[in-house]
Amino acid sequence: MKQRYVLRVNGRGMEAAAEAHESLLDVLRENLRLTGSKKGCNEAECGSCTVLLDGRPVVSCLVLVPDAADRDVVTIEALATDGVPHPIQRQMVEQGGVQCGYCTPGMIMSAYALLLDNPDPTDDEIRFAISGNICRCTGYGKIVKAVRAAAVEMKGQAGNGGAAS
Amino acid sequence: MAIRRGLGIGSMYYGIGYGFSRADIGSAEIEMAEDGTTTVYSGACDMGQGVMTVVTQVAAEELGIEPEQIRVVAADTGSTPDAGPTSGSRATFVQGVAVQNAAAELREQILDMASRMLECPKENLVVRHGQVCEIESGREMVSVGKVAHQLHFHGRRAAAWGWHDNTTADVDPETSQGDAYATYGWATQLAEVEVDTETGRVRLTKLVSATDAGKAINPVAVEGQIEGGATMGLGYGLYEQHILEGGIPRTNSLAFYLVPTAMDVPDIECEIVEVPDPRGPFGAKGVAEPATIPTTPAILNAIYDAIGIRITETPITPERVFFAIQEARDRGEFEED
Amino acid sequence: MSEDPSTETAEETRGAYSWIGKNVTKPDALEKALGATEYVGDMVVPGMLHGKILWADTPHAVIKRIDTEEAARVPGVHAVLTAADVPGSNRFGLAVLDQCALAEERVRSVGDAVALVAAEDEEAAEEAVAKIRVHKEHLRPILTYADALDPDAPKIHDGGNVFQHTTVRKGDLDKGIRESAAIVENAYHTHRMDHVPMEPEAGLAYVDPSGVLNILVGTQYPYRDRRQIAPALGLPMNKVRVIQAPIGGGFGRKDDITAEIHVGLLALKTRRPVRLVYTREESLVANTKRHPMAMNFRTGAGADGRLTFLDGDIYGDTGAGVSLGAYVIKKAGIHATGPYDVPNIRVDTYTLYTNNLTSGAMRGFGVMQAAVAHESQMDQLAHKLGMSPLEFRLKNCLKPGLASSTGQLMNEGCGIEATLRRIKDYMSARDLRFKRPEAAS
Ligand code: FES
Ligand code: FES
Repeated sequence: MKQRYVLRVNGRGMEAAAEAHESLLDVLRENLRLTGSKKGCNEAECGSCTVLLDGRPVVSCLVLVPDAADRDVVTIEALATDGVPHPIQRQMVEQGGVQCGYCTPGMIMSAYALLLDNPDPTDDEIRFAISGNICRCTGYGKIVKAVRAAAVEMKGQAGNGGAAS
Repeated sequence: MAIRRGLGIGSMYYGIGYGFSRADIGSAEIEMAEDGTTTVYSGACDMGQGVMTVVTQVAAEELGIEPEQIRVVAADTGSTPDAGPTSGSRATFVQGVAVQNAAAELREQILDMASRMLECPKENLVVRHGQVCEIESGREMVSVGKVAHQLHFHGRRAAAWGWHDNTTADVDPETSQGDAYATYGWATQLAEVEVDTETGRVRLTKLVSATDAGKAINPVAVEGQIEGGATMGLGYGLYEQHILEGGIPRTNSLAFYLVPTAMDVPDIECEIVEVPDPRGPFGAKGVAEPATIPTTPAILNAIYDAIGIRITETPITPERVFFAIQEARDRGEFEED
Repeated sequence: MSEDPSTETAEETRGAYSWIGKNVTKPDALEKALGATEYVGDMVVPGMLHGKILWADTPHAVIKRIDTEEAARVPGVHAVLTAADVPGSNRFGLAVLDQCALAEERVRSVGDAVALVAAEDEEAAEEAVAKIRVHKEHLRPILTYADALDPDAPKIHDGGNVFQHTTVRKGDLDKGIRESAAIVENAYHTHRMDHVPMEPEAGLAYVDPSGVLNILVGTQYPYRDRRQIAPALGLPMNKVRVIQAPIGGGFGRKDDITAEIHVGLLALKTRRPVRLVYTREESLVANTKRHPMAMNFRTGAGADGRLTFLDGDIYGDTGAGVSLGAYVIKKAGIHATGPYDVPNIRVDTYTLYTNNLTSGAMRGFGVMQAAVAHESQMDQLAHKLGMSPLEFRLKNCLKPGLASSTGQLMNEGCGIEATLRRIKDYMSARDLRFKRPEAAS
């Protein structure tokens, strides 16, 4: 039996008709056509479906739709603002952290969650934060570098913003 | 503590391309529009490692235009010519030359027309950064877009086709003697491991990869291949195994089939070595496979260096190392702390 | 200073490059970072059906009968197909046509597809797959190297279970043995590995109004796909268009046929667009893997520290289909010396059919396995001779003018010495030393 669920995705209220056993990932991808979150395993092992749920990173293939109802979901599609990529996105490109790109959205969401929590992480903290995200192409080094560079850039932006206002 | 450290190296060579008389071809079409923007129809698949970027850089260099002026249409039997597979570390080495050939011919078309337009001998002209320039003075005379426009206006081509055949003869069927491959990739890696002699657990704590790229067309992309390749090599050595029982896989989930995570991979130091091969584009060779092959051997040799035990079976699981230590102890051959 | 021969570059003859050697940004990277890139599994086209595969559940069997009626009655199902429905040869294979798109009278591994379903949604397709009944008679599976080498064992394919035997012969082995001061002999075993591309295999197919079968697929080679798809489905090659979709990793797996023929057949039969996306479990079980190999190597070196001979046998388990296995294992044989000058060689390789998963191309292509053996041998010889493993390699490595195991003369592109020296410099700059052998450290 399909039911209607109200989800708050990327700051907007959205309705989806789904069965209670369907995953948030499937609803995002199929009902809402937000396909930036990838399905690398559907068994909570690869991290390619990572989104933020009330500010915490979760593997959305493991979250049932009813458990996401009336909570804040943030997906990769919301990270760029007005067409300007988020610093993590830009640094991933610049540092060579993107190859096939299939892990990339989930990886960026894990890194985004980390930087929300900890704006100045060590490399070990970055590695730990993305350890649930498998990347088969890059060997992770350039991803760690990109997250570190993004953290520096974001602190700089925050600092400048403060000075200017 | 029961941790012992060791260092080991692994080297390899790898025949680049197909060998064995299998068709080993590259091909591309290149076409310049009236505003100078250029499209390369390249049959080579980009897997994310950067063939499209290599194609762009090779075309930009050979043609004398900016990478921003180039768009690559890739790998579609409906619109691009056959460029062979992206495998065998061959895409840069083979397709790079095909693109270079196509771009060189297009450049000649442009210089021919520019020479007529400017009434200036072709030998005195060169294309740089999208402008036809006088060699001596370096003065910019006319943009490639204007020249392309004239070519079209006169019913001439501003398009070229490039082909490259890297097919080699097969080796002798009895002795395997012969020139097996057009060229080879070369690499040596140094691994540092920690072996826990109580649990048998091995950790890779450092990896240095000296990989011969011939000429690194895009160093960051080459490093990406090296780091990713070594990580796959690390997975092969220490973690990943498809276990079959009676022909049926037991490792049918990523919960059982373990791929290295960011916590398993140390910082990988890339030492790009450049011994150019004149048969590759600008001297370049492929690095995808050379980057992955030496890692497991280097780890095996580092384990021996650490504990004096030779492991001969992969993957090097904690159980395997643990039992090897026990057996060495039983034989009285294990060097205790 | 290092004697690195890599200092001259083509730059000196051409002048400074504008773009070669520069870190030009990949044109596709930003769209991937934005999450905007559409891989096949992200694509939706109007009227699209969903495909699903019934895989064999046993490694070796004779198929007696397949009942599909009940499956076909599941609401939303448009097609349930078996080998009998394939309009073409139903065969594919990169070295020989030994694989069936859909199993005919035999199942040869659990990676064999037996039937296909297309339905309005994934759930209906899954339900229908579960309702297909395959009546079969089990056969003894061939699972080990010894089974495959046993001439009396059941044959997986008509030609027998040894698909290929290659030989490398160079110099005079007995002379090499006589001249050896140190000999090392070992058996090495390497395992089966999965590529684990982060994007599981997927394809999307449709027949366009002009009658061309279009297939979007994360592939490594669209033209060879076309060469295989067209005869398998009984179509002229120019009526098949293969388009490489953005690909979430391949590593050799997607060099071979993955979803192409299946999804193409479903689109042909239903005349609707069909998308077929593997689950991770399907990806782990189906399609090609890295060959497990058993390698017996005996290697010698003289008192002067020069390699004298290699005497080896390599057995590769290619599973139920050869795929590129014959080339993988042949390549392992001619790379068995490693990048060294070895004057006397005997190496035999055997490509063996088994009822295990099919093995094919994977990054490293046979040399991955061979290097496990030759590099282990190199260190053991160095230790026996009391030499540093690095110096031992430098002494024996190929250089311009020397010949490889196949007698190929090395030219100016021979870079092994440069990589060894780079590592040597790295170690001495940081005072890193091997612990063994003590004498040489
Ligand atoms: S798809 Fe959710 S963790 Fe892999
Ligand atoms: S870029 Fe391919 S999996 Fe990470």
